[in-house]
This record gives sequence, structure tokens and C-alpha cells, in this order.
Amino acid sequence: MSPLLPRPGRRAARVALVSTAVAVVSAIALTGCSGSSAERGGDDATVRVGLVLEPTSLDIRTTSGAALDQVLIDNVYQGLVGRSGSDGDIRDVLAAKHEVSADGLTYTFTLRDGTTFQDGKPVTAADVVWSLQQVKDDASYVDSAQLANVASIESPSADQVVLRLSKPDSDLLWNLTGRAGLVLEKAAKNDLSDSANGTGPYEVSSWKQGDALVFARNDDYWGTKAKVAKIEFRYITDGSAAVNAMAAGDLDVQTSVDGTLKSQLEGNGDIALHTGKTTDKYTLAFNDRKAPFTDVRVRKAIRQAIDPKALIKAIGGTGVPQGGPIPELDPGYQDLTDVDAYDPSAAKQLLSEAGATDLKLTLTYPNIYAATIGDVLKSQLADVGITLSVKRVDFATWLSQVFEQHDFDLSMVNHVESRDFGNWANPDYYFGYDNPQVQALYAQSVAATTEQAKDEALRAAAKIVSEDAAGEWLYTATAITAVRKGVTGVPYDGTNSRLDLSKLAVR
Amino acid sequence: MTRFLLGRLLLLVVGLFVASVIVFATLRVLPGDVAQVVAGTQSSPAQVEALRQQLGLGRPVVVQYADWIGGLFRGDLGRSLVTGGAVAPELAEKLSVTLPLAGMSLAAALVLGVPLGVLAAVLRRRAGGAVIAFVAQAVAAVPIVWAGLLLIALFAVTLHWLPPQGFPLDGWGEPGRAFAALVLPALTIGAVEGAVILRFTRSATLGVLDADHVRTAAAIGLSRTQALVRHGLPSVALTVLSVLGVQIAGLLVGAVVVEQLFSLPGVGRMLVTDVGRRDVTKVQSELLVLTGLVLLVGFAVDVLHRVLDPRQREAHE
Repeated sequence: MSPLLPRPGRRAARVALVSTAVAVVSAIALTGCSGSSAERGGDDATVRVGLVLEPTSLDIRTTSGAALDQVLIDNVYQGLVGRSGSDGDIRDVLAAKHEVSADGLTYTFTLRDGTTFQDGKPVTAADVVWSLQQVKDDASYVDSAQLANVASIESPSADQVVLRLSKPDSDLLWNLTGRAGLVLEKAAKNDLSDSANGTGPYEVSSWKQGDALVFARNDDYWGTKAKVAKIEFRYITDGSAAVNAMAAGDLDVQTSVDGTLKSQLEGNGDIALHTGKTTDKYTLAFNDRKAPFTDVRVRKAIRQAIDPKALIKAIGGTGVPQGGPIPELDPGYQDLTDVDAYDPSAAKQLLSEAGATDLKLTLTYPNIYAATIGDVLKSQLADVGITLSVKRVDFATWLSQVFEQHDFDLSMVNHVESRDFGNWANPDYYFGYDNPQVQALYAQSVAATTEQAKDEALRAAAKIVSEDAAGEWLYTATAITAVRKGVTGVPYDGTNSRLDLSKLAVR
Repeated sequence: MTRFLLGRLLLLVVGLFVASVIVFATLRVLPGDVAQVVAGTQSSPAQVEALRQQLGLGRPVVVQYADWIGGLFRGDLGRSLVTGGAVAPELAEKLSVTLPLAGMSLAAALVLGVPLGVLAAVLRRRAGGAVIAFVAQAVAAVPIVWAGLLLIALFAVTLHWLPPQGFPLDGWGEPGRAFAALVLPALTIGAVEGAVILRFTRSATLGVLDADHVRTAAAIGLSRTQALVRHGLPSVALTVLSVLGVQIAGLLVGAVVVEQLFSLPGVGRMLVTDVGRRDVTKVQSELLVLTGLVLLVGFAVDVLHRVLDPRQREAHE
């Protein structure tokens, strides 16, 4: 320092320090009065619901993804029939009743009186026929293939619609509760990608992409009207941001709470946590069409090397072991967790029998799933001498490399769709599992005309798939739903694929 | 000056053109496409192929590029491949979150960085100066995500002063809540960027403290504070200005991370989502607009620098 200068400028220092402090404090003080401002209670209530994955478009016809079914079906769009709860029972919605002929080839739906679209027009048999015919004829529509067995869709009278099948299809009614069966208005001209003219208890009132979707009560609903005026769905991808939002009172309901973070909500007297079942199957797929997975011993060894319980613990406990391709909520379920149960020494034995002692494999999975899963699998497989490299890629890359080009060893994805066992009977699916016996049993289950026959065929097929170690089913996710005190009518089961909020109410 | 301005403008245009080619090409080599994303995991190859044709993805790349650039010249940013919605209004809506966020982050960075930087320099021989310099070094190395998580834990979860996430549905229709929603995100970026500015300010101030003209000013009877403020800080300001030009890009990168962390419906989060969906026509326009903004700021900083700095003026005249 120059000797010419006076002592260091304390004043400059003080001025700088004080101005910094004032600026910071005033910025905070200005906003000190944050927090929630929800109008609560009664028929005028607005309920704020936190969801994770946002639909890419509102077009229920061409846009795939459970995120769209989750919010739009039941709440906005409806079909002739719907699901009652998650137990798989079918209930009549736009139909007053339905009859299936003994040979399973003719489905007769009698339309309910007085049902209307949200633009006020009545639902007619012509609308129903047109809606179903469109899905059947246009292959680019989601689930178009589900109507493949339908030969004709006709309306013999003003209140009846008759579907004739070329062969029995025990999945048809169930499929009609989903995309394939939704009834839209033939004359409507609205843009499906950002608006909806359904028949349900809520109307889409606004969609702010990347943030929120807002429903308003359909005041002219033909059935029991909704008990809340507005639902705001907030899309929060970051698990900890979602938990913070719930804790801070910015949300009234939060689905799919991250199990590792749930302790932050426990002990909060205003919030109740509920655990529900799902059909979310965290599936470790083997590329069955290529070596080393063509050797059943290698497949079995991998299954035996994996300890689902340890994995479930690592992800925060939100899962139950699955054991086979069919989850508990779907027809054909049986407990298969004993098949190829965790047994690392047996796994090593099998690997040496197969001559696969120094196996190097790559696991490719979308980065929307926790890194923990890859870490756990890597260390569990290392215990039996398999070197696993983990590649987390973005979802579009996974779709291209794994799903479309089948360029992978192991893959992990959460298959959320219910009743999707058919993928194991489709040799062209990315699993590449080609077993004629399974395919025959699956065809038999589809052609069954009684629930019992269907169940038996599926059960037998699933057992083969599991015993043949076609893949490994890490776990079926359980879903934690956080609900604020006073909010009722929130479903807990299967909320990732359907979130029916028609009974939602606020005390 | 005119010549200088023209030169810089030309640079801006060339920069934008180069950026457009790079952005376009990069998006075309990413694995996966929008048709597959829309069709999903229950789709058949035939269904995906039908969608590809509908969306015009099979057209020659040159035609696609020409279409896009042609639209830009007509002021048309194009439409989303997924929703069919126009890009411009959505981008404007998201910018109404991100631009204020960037502005507030910048303000926070300056308010934290400049005074403390000067202070650290002035106190260089004392414990206080060393502590400030050390803390700045540490904060500049903290990942933005961590800074954000710590601020959320303190100000939102523990003290309840500020919302932990989200942005009001009505946006700036609720100015108080909208502002409050941006304070923590802005402080997050501001703290990390401010630490960088602090270090530059500190070294620039250290430089002028020993400069001849400041010493002379002190010699003719000004107090050290007066000498520093009147004769030293103007050149510190120029240094900070140049650093800012570079850091603007950093602010936008910070916005991508912070918008995700705080669930803010801004440009950063939109970009991440759109890239994930391979909505290439949308992403390319969004990126080009952002690049344009960064280049414009760089241009403005250059011009401002030239106007403010007598040495630069003289050197070219």
C-alpha cells in the first residue's frame, strides 16, 4: 500500500456494507407477506392438485401417454362405460345398460336419457357410432388397434348402439372404458389440442402449458354435479419442490409423493398421507432377441441376482415386489414372487453353467426415473460377477434407441398401463419375447367369453413368462397421495393412469 | 463511431445466421423424434410412421431449413409440432417470467457483488476483506442447485418468508405474488453470479487503489474514500460492465436450472421440456430468439463501453 494514502477508507466500507444490507432486507420485506390465498370450503372451492407429468397436448385422439388419460378421462371425457374404482369392474356411464350376447359377438348398449355435451347439445347414437368408427378407422389414433375385432358399429334405433365382433374379445368392455370408447360430438369444431367438448362433470377452462391446467365445474352436467367450482392442476416435476409446495399450503392434493421425501409431510397435522395401489410396473426388460439373453440360464441368473426388497427400500419404500408380468390390480394376477427369488449364489452357479462368467451389460433407461435404481442394480449385479454400465438417457432417446431400434441389453421403464400383458405376447415389441405357447394362451384369454376363463388363461401365460425369466419385474409402485384436511373424494389407487375427481369436495 | 456501429451490427447478423445453422443442425442429429414421443410406448411402427408423414418430418432437411428461415423473415416463429400452437405467443408468455427473473438476478448480483467487491479490496489487509474474498470464492464454486436448495430451506421452509416454488396462475396480474415468487430464484442466481462479479470488482478495485491517478488525487488532499470514489471507481465500473456482457449468457443458463428447481413457467423450463419432446420447430425458434437476446446485450455492452471509456474512443479516432 502506498505510504502517501491516508488510512483505509472506512467510510467507503461502511457505505458499501450498509447499502448491501438495506437492499437485501428491503427485497425480502417487500415480499414478506407471501403464502396461500386459497378460497376454501363449499361449492365455490378451488382445489389445487399437484401432478408430475404434463400431457404434451390435450388431443385425446392422437396424443399418447397416461398423463392425458389421468386428467381428461372421467373428469372431462366419458365413454358408454367406465371403471368403478380400480378393481376392474365396469359401470355404465353414457349407456344406461349394456348386454353381451352369450357367444360374445354382439354388444348392445342402451343410451342413457338426457346426457349432453358441454356445449349443450344432446349426446345421440349418431355421435357414439361416429366416435367409435373414427377410432377404428384411423390407425394414428391412440388405441385404434383395440377395436380390431369390431366388425360393425351400428345404431338400430335412436337409443341403441350395437357392436358386432368378428371374434369374441374379453377386453372390449375394458377397452371401451379408455381412449377407444370416448364419445365426442360429431358436429363440434373445437381444436382438440387445446380445448375439449366432453360430457363429463368438469370443463377444461384454461391450459397454461408448462405450468397448469384448470378445470371448471360443468354447471349443466347431466349427472350428479361436481361439488367444487374449480380444480387447478399444477405440474411440478421436481419431487422436492412438490413436497415444499404441499407443506407451504400451495397445494391441497399431491399425487405420487416421492417416498424418500415423505417424512417432510409426516407429522403435519393439516396433511394426511394415503398409500394406494397402482399398475405401475417398473420393468427391467432383457433384449430377449439377442445373446446372452437367448440363454434362459442367464435370464434366470439376472433375476436371482436382484433383490427387489433392497431396491424398494432404496427408493423410499414406495413399491411392492411383483414377481411376474401381471400386477395385483389386473386380471390374471397371482403371487409369483417365489419364482427366481433373490439368491446370489444360485445366480453365480447358473452363470458359470452358461459359461457367462465375465458378463458385461449395459442398462439403458430414461432419466425421468431415479438414479438410485441404476446404482442399486449395478451393485447387486456386481455381487454375482456381472459388470453393469448404466446409461441414463432422455426419454426421446430411449424411445428411439431401445423402443424403436431395439438397440439395448437391459432397459428399465415404468409401464403404467393397466392390462398390458399383451406386450409379452407380441414378439415385435421391444422386449423381443417370442413364445408361441404364451401367445396362444393370450389369444385364448382375449377370446374367452367368461371372466373366469380369461383369468385362468392369463394366469397360466403369466406364470410361463415369469418362469421363463422373460424379464425382471422390479416392483409395482405404490402411490402416496397427500391430502389437506377438509378435502375429500380423492382416489388413491391407480392415480397415475386415472384420477377421477367427480366426488371431490371441500368441507 | 458510425463505422464501429455498422461493424458491430454486421457481426450481430452474422452471429445470428451462424447460430441458426448450428441450432438447426444440432436438433436434427439428436436421437429420437417427435412422432415417436407423441405415439408413446404402446404404439406400433406403422402408427409412428403415419405420424411422421403427417408432421412433415420426412421432407428434405434443406427444405425444412428454408421454410423456417423464410418464416422468420415474415416474423413467423412457426408452430409446435406437438400441439400445433403458435410459438410466438407462448414464448412471449414465458419471457414474461424469465426476463424479470434475469433482471432481478442481475440486480441481486450487482447489489451483492459490487459493494462487497469494493469493500473486500479496501479491506484487503484486514480480516474482513479476507473473509469476504474467501466466501466469494466458495459461493462462486457452489452449484446453482445447491444454492437454491439452501435458500429454500432457510427462507421458505424454515422462516416462511417467501414461497418455495411456483408462480401465480394470473402471472403479473397478481404483481405482489409474482414478484415474491421470483425473489428466491433471483437471489439464487444472484448469489452465484454476484460472487463472480465480486471477484472481478475486487481485483479491479485493487488495481486502481495503487493507480497513479488515484494516488495523485489523494496527494492533492482528497480523502482516500473520495479519491477512490471519484477517480478510481469509474474504471472499476467499466470492468464490471465488460464482465456483465459475458455473464448474461450465464444468467440464462442459471434460469434453466432455477426454473426447474422452483417450478417457474419460464423459458428455461419450456426449453428443457420441448427438447425432451423433440419439438424441433419450436426449440429452434426459441433458441434463436434467446441467442438474439444474448447477442443484443453483447452489442449494447460493446457500444456502452465505447461511449463511456475515453481511452477506447481516442484509440479509434
